[in-house]
Formats: sequence, structure tokens, C-alpha cells
Amino acid sequence: MSGAAIELKALRKNFGLAQIIRGVDLAIAGGERHAIIGPNGAGKSTLFNLITGKYHPTSGSVHLNGTDVSRLKPHEINRMGLSRSFQITNIFPKMSVFENIRCGLLYTMGYKYSFWHLVDRQPKLTERAEEILEQINLSDRRNLLAGVLTYAEQRALEIGITIAGGADIVMLDEPTAGMSASETDYIVDLIRQVTDGKTLVIVEHDMGVVFNLADRISVLVYGEIIESDTPENVRASQKVQEAYLGAAEEADH
Amino acid sequence: MSALGDAEAARRGKTGGLSLSAAAPWLIAIVLLAGLPFVFTGGAALTVMNQMAITIIFALAYNMLLGQGGMLSFGHAVYMGLGGFFCVHLMNMVEYDGLLLPLPLLPLFGGLFGLLFAFIIGSFSTRRAGTVFAMISLGVGELIASLSIIVVAFFGGEEGVSGDRTMGPVVAGFDFASQKEVYYLTAAWLFVSALAMFLYSRTPVGRIANAVRDNEERAEFLGYSQRYVRWISFCASGFFAGIAGGLFAINFEILTEENLNLATSGSILLITFLGGVGFFLGPVIGAVVFTLLQTVLSLYTEIWALYVGLLFVLTVMFFPSGLAGVFAIHVRPWQLGKIGLLASPYLKMFVPALLFVFSAAAVLEILFHARHAAIGEEQMSLFGLTFNSHGVWPLTIAIIICVASYLILKRLAPSLKEAWDEANHGEVGR
Repeated sequence: MSGAAIELKALRKNFGLAQIIRGVDLAIAGGERHAIIGPNGAGKSTLFNLITGKYHPTSGSVHLNGTDVSRLKPHEINRMGLSRSFQITNIFPKMSVFENIRCGLLYTMGYKYSFWHLVDRQPKLTERAEEILEQINLSDRRNLLAGVLTYAEQRALEIGITIAGGADIVMLDEPTAGMSASETDYIVDLIRQVTDGKTLVIVEHDMGVVFNLADRISVLVYGEIIESDTPENVRASQKVQEAYLGAAEEADH
Repeated sequence: MSALGDAEAARRGKTGGLSLSAAAPWLIAIVLLAGLPFVFTGGAALTVMNQMAITIIFALAYNMLLGQGGMLSFGHAVYMGLGGFFCVHLMNMVEYDGLLLPLPLLPLFGGLFGLLFAFIIGSFSTRRAGTVFAMISLGVGELIASLSIIVVAFFGGEEGVSGDRTMGPVVAGFDFASQKEVYYLTAAWLFVSALAMFLYSRTPVGRIANAVRDNEERAEFLGYSQRYVRWISFCASGFFAGIAGGLFAINFEILTEENLNLATSGSILLITFLGGVGFFLGPVIGAVVFTLLQTVLSLYTEIWALYVGLLFVLTVMFFPSGLAGVFAIHVRPWQLGKIGLLASPYLKMFVPALLFVFSAAAVLEILFHARHAAIGEEQMSLFGLTFNSHGVWPLTIAIIICVASYLILKRLAPSLKEAWDEANHGEVGR
């Protein structure tokens, strides 16, 4: 599976004695839209944080385009072409919308830690930021503080920041959480459009979104992947129905 | 930076080129700096202005950490102090060892020395933000301050180190013996440093410092190491603090432990906060106000520090964005063309407010005099009046005026609130 964009090998993560991720093997091909679903507490966010370098695995490894990144820091992984959003809206609230997007561009456009460029004097940078604003439909919000946008706009902005750097692998953590149906439709369209041709990994609770968007779905239950297949097969899988619905029922009690 | 600043900057980015509106504040600054000595001609005034300029540079440097980088330092006097000590030693080398260093360049070396130490100390102190950074800065501040008594060769022990600025090579006919020459040297450095710090805030690393301040986790996932971003900000801040130290050395020709200790570190935090950390001009305003209070108010009253403390507490409580914030909240009514609505309530409140401030000060002054004057010395003079501070009436009258003016202010407050809401109502056209 050397062609995989993301490959997890026997991945485990313990917090103290609690085993949260209990041996996950998964390969996500380049260009695939992959959803991770599972009941609450299954370890979806932990898995996300392991892939993006926020946590380091207890054992096993994470590979990005064939390179082991298990011990790298988030910013190093980001530089290898992986970008993520967060479950809780994670933007720069005290900066303008435009500025938020521009910050997402700076590193990959080669400015890095420069203190010899003036950001306002870089036509290409400004142009690119405007393009992304256009893409996420926030051009008319350009000069507002990001903190005053509506919730759906903030989520759109976050997706904008996430894709700004031009990463090949985009990971979105519950991008539609807390949204109304129409807002959800809007964001799903946006995601489909901006991740065209990229590898997308998404954690989501909304099954409508998952089955609508994903090429493949992995079902995570108690730190293990019990099924990883196309939406149709996952929907039909006896194992998933038992485990997922069983766990959901358990959680309800 | 303020929302307004960002929006303004962004709009400018679109058009490109050096616009007049961007350059105007700096041109005004040049005129102001060049013209001030003709308005305030006395030697004492020059000294106050020099002190102001130095404090402005230091406060702007401090705000690179606090306002722009989100790092609260309790020990930033160290970098200004070290820069200053180094410059005094350089001055002495010029005097005794024939080092050929023209005085105008001296602050640059103070800056480089500050940078060096910020680089070393920042290498471990900027690993984490928040409380960890604040505590390390406190510890390092104490450490260096106590080192000043131990490493006598560099810090000169309790009496400090002193030098003579006039011993260097004469530059274009200036030997910097007069206050005025020193003023122009200081003013030039102030201008260059302030401009450099302003431009720095508009570079990629300056912008990312804001990003790390707002949300360090997000910044990491944009490819930036939060630690390196903080470290770079810290170094830049140390550099400009060192320049302020060099100018201090030139102005006062002596540095002591006082330039490194916690009291100095604390007052720069106070100055920056008083002025407003969210605005580039905030620390400038803070430094000007504080220096004026410190130098002018202290001529009139012994308890000036109490007033500064009160001003600070009131500012933090009621105007968390500082004195610059007080100006900034008037921008919107101004843009709406409704600033005139505020004139009448302001005018009505002006006299009671003045009475309140002065009567409250009178209460404090009378109490202070009654408790602290030498035995038998019961006469005191205040606001041109002479009276017996031990008597009942002066205090009673002061308290009555104070309470009465407060009540009047309280009655006028709703009308101000109303005018305020009205003045802020509406859409600003773009």
C-alpha cells in the first residue's frame, strides 16, 4: 500500500491505563474522501490528533505518503502537506477575516519567519487570499473581525484557513457540528468544492453528510476499526449494525 | 492591532504604493519631534522629553511581547538594563582605551547586547506561553537584578557604573555636551525605532505573532512553530529594549541595579497597559502620561504614585483597552458624523468631573498632610489656598464638594449614556 496518502500501522494510544486507540490499521488512498464514524467516546478525535501530531502514539506508527511522521510536531506535519480543522471553531478571532486567510498562506507561500517583507506589499499573497475568500464566499466579510462572524461563517472561514496552505491532505473534525440543515448543506457543498482532487479525511456525526460526501467509511468502535468500506457496504454490514447500534443503545441507557 | 488598523492595512494592501495617509502620522511625528524643543526650551523640559522618548521606545518594545505576542513579562527591565550597562562600558572604553565609536551609534550596540541576552534567555523562556513564560521572566528578572550585586566588574555593585558621553569622536561638530544635542539624538532614535517596530508588525513574522497570540494551536497547524514565533518576537523586543537602554546610558551616564529590578519591570507593564496594549500608539500614550505624572506631578505632591496607581486601577477597570481605547471608541461616532452629539453631555460633565477629581485629591492631600507633616506645622497650602490641615472644616468642605460633585455626575450619567448610544447608532458607510 505504498500509494496511500495516510497509512496507520498497529496504532495504539493509552492515556494512563485507559486504552483509547487499540490497534488501528488503516490506509487512505490519495484523492479519496474518507469518513471516520463511530459512537461517542470511540476515539475518533484521538485518532485525528494522532494523525496530525497533536498526540504521539504509544505504539505503532503513522505514515504520510510513505514517511513515518509518528514523532513529528504539528507544524512539521503541516509542512508535509497535511492541514486540519478543529471540532471547536478554531480561528483567530481578533484578526480580520482577510488576515485569517493570509496567515494560512504565509508559510507555504515561502514567507516563513521573514521580517524583511511587508505583508501588505505582496500582490501575489493578497491576490491568493482574495481568491480563497471568493471560494468560501466571505469576500464581503473581508474586513470584519473573524470573531463577529456567524457560526456557519466562522466554520467556513476555518475551512478556508485549512485549505489556504494548499495542503494535499485535508482533515476536518466535525465540520457541520451544531449547524442547521441549510447551513449543513452549504458547508458540505463548500467542502466538496474546495477539496476537489485532494485527500479528505472527515470525522462526522451527521450520517447524511457522511454518506453524501465519502468515498469510503471507517467505523471506529472502542478504539478499533471494525469496518472500512464503501458507504453501501458499510450500510449493509451486519457487524457495523450490531456494534454501532449496540454501542449507541448502550450509550442511551 | 485594532480592527480598524487591520482593515485599514488590508485596504492599503489592495491599492499598493506608499499613500499619503500612511505616511502622514510619521511626517507629523517628525515635525513634532523637531519642533518640541522650540516650544519647551528649558533644560528640565528637555530632560523630561528625553526620558519620555526613552520610555516610549521601551514601552513599544514591551508591547511587541504583551500586545502583539501575548507574552506577559515581569522582567523586561533586564534587557533595557543590560543594553544600558553595556553602553556605559563602551563609553568608558571610548574614553580610556581609545575605542573609536561615535556616540550616535552607541544605542545600536545596546540593542545588539539586549538581543544577545533575549536570544539566550528566550531559548528556554519562550517554550511555553502564559503563566510559564510569566514566571520564568519573573525569575530571570530577579536573577539578573541580584547578579548586579555579585558581578561587580560589570554591574558596579551598589553604586552602579557611570561614564561620560562627551569623550567620543566629535561627529559633524557635535560633542553631545548640551542637552539639546542629546535630545535630537534621542528623538532620532525614537523615530527610527518606532518606525522599525511599526513595520515589523506588518511583516509575516509580526503577523504570525498575532496569530500565535490569538490561537497558538491553530498557528501550529499552519506550519509555524509557536515556540520559534515567540522566540523571534522576544529577540526583537529585547533588541529595541536594549536601544532604549543605550539611550538611557547616554542621557543619564549612569546605570544602577534600579535599571534592572522588578520595580522598573513592573512600571513598564503598567505604562503599556495604561496606554492600551491593543493599539500601536497605546504604549506611546502610556509612556507620555506616565512620564508627565512622574516628573511634573511629583513636583507638586509627594503622593503622586498614589494617583498613578489610582489612574491605573480605574483604567483597567473601566477602560481595559487603555487610554488609547478611550480615543478609539470615539472613532465610530466620528465616522458616523455624530461626534457632536457627545459635546453637550461632555461639557455639562466637565466642571463636576473637575471638581470631583480635585476635591478627592484634596481629601487625600489633607489627610496626608495631617498625618505626615512635622509636629507643630499645621498650615498647608493647596491649589493656592493656605489653611490648617488639622482643622475640621477644610476636610469637611473637601468631602462635601467631593460627594456633591459625584452625585451631580451620577445624575448626568444617563443623559451621557443616551447620547452615547445615539452617537454609535447607524452603519458606517465604506
